[in-house]
Amino acid sequence: MSALGDLSVSLRDFAANADAEGQSLVLTLSGNADMAAKDSLDALLPRLHGEALRLGAAEVRVDFQKLEFMNSSCFKSFVSWISEVVDLDPSKQYKIRLASNPEMHWQRRSLHALRCFAVDLITIEP
Amino acid sequence: MTLTPTAFELSFQPNVELISIVRRFVSDFYDRMIEDRDTVSRMALATHELLENAVKYASDGATFLSITFEPGETTSTVSIRLVNRADAEHIAAVAAIFEEMSRHDDPFSHYQVAMARSAKRKVGSGLGLVRVRAEGEMTMSHTIEDDRVTILAQTTVRARRSS
Repeated sequence: MSALGDLSVSLRDFAANADAEGQSLVLTLSGNADMAAKDSLDALLPRLHGEALRLGAAEVRVDFQKLEFMNSSCFKSFVSWISEVVDLDPSKQYKIRLASNPEMHWQRRSLHALRCFAVDLITIEP
Repeated sequence: MTLTPTAFELSFQPNVELISIVRRFVSDFYDRMIEDRDTVSRMALATHELLENAVKYASDGATFLSITFEPGETTSTVSIRLVNRADAEHIAAVAAIFEEMSRHDDPFSHYQVAMARSAKRKVGSGLGLVRVRAEGEMTMSHTIEDDRVTILAQTTVRARRSS
């Protein structure tokens, strides 16, 4: 796995880090994605999208397993990112896999809502 | 699940850090009384979103938060009430969101509509209250008296007697 140095965020209560894994990118989130994290996520996700396109990634996996909470502002950042992927020519689209933690009950509904927004592109695990 | 009504009220000037602290407090507090963790999670989400709404729109910063849990024989009711003062522009925005919600019987399909619109927005998400209704599975209502806005989110959960 190779680190993508500029695709990381480290705040007091929130962290995000992206790595390349073969033909995929993996974005790992942890902590609390609230108003304090919004600007960072707004900047990070377009860069992740650009990197996925540059690398011709087949898939981007987002690991939510250690994310305690995500507010609607940060949720909107993901909606905007997914919308960008949906708007791409199908030949340039990549798949999105959302890794959830069943112990974090909010994730079931939030990630389901994201999936319904782009049902052909998004899968949820487990 | 406890058979004792529980409630707490806060009157304060919330900021970004306090919102998450209050969400964790709500979660910890009701985790001890409500066995259904999914319900507690929904309460926490709703509390967080409603408080953020208040932070953004309260004209004087002051917010009143009340959460009550009222157990019944067959169902229990959770109520989250937020009260704050707001200027005319924000009162109109809240009223518009509730008017739109009233036109969408299905909270989840409305949520998808709001998400599609939000994707192209440059400022704000416009999702907070819609999310409380859809993901929090809460019925929503509001009242406006002069510049005072009250938002009430309620959900009903099946009661279970403790042994």
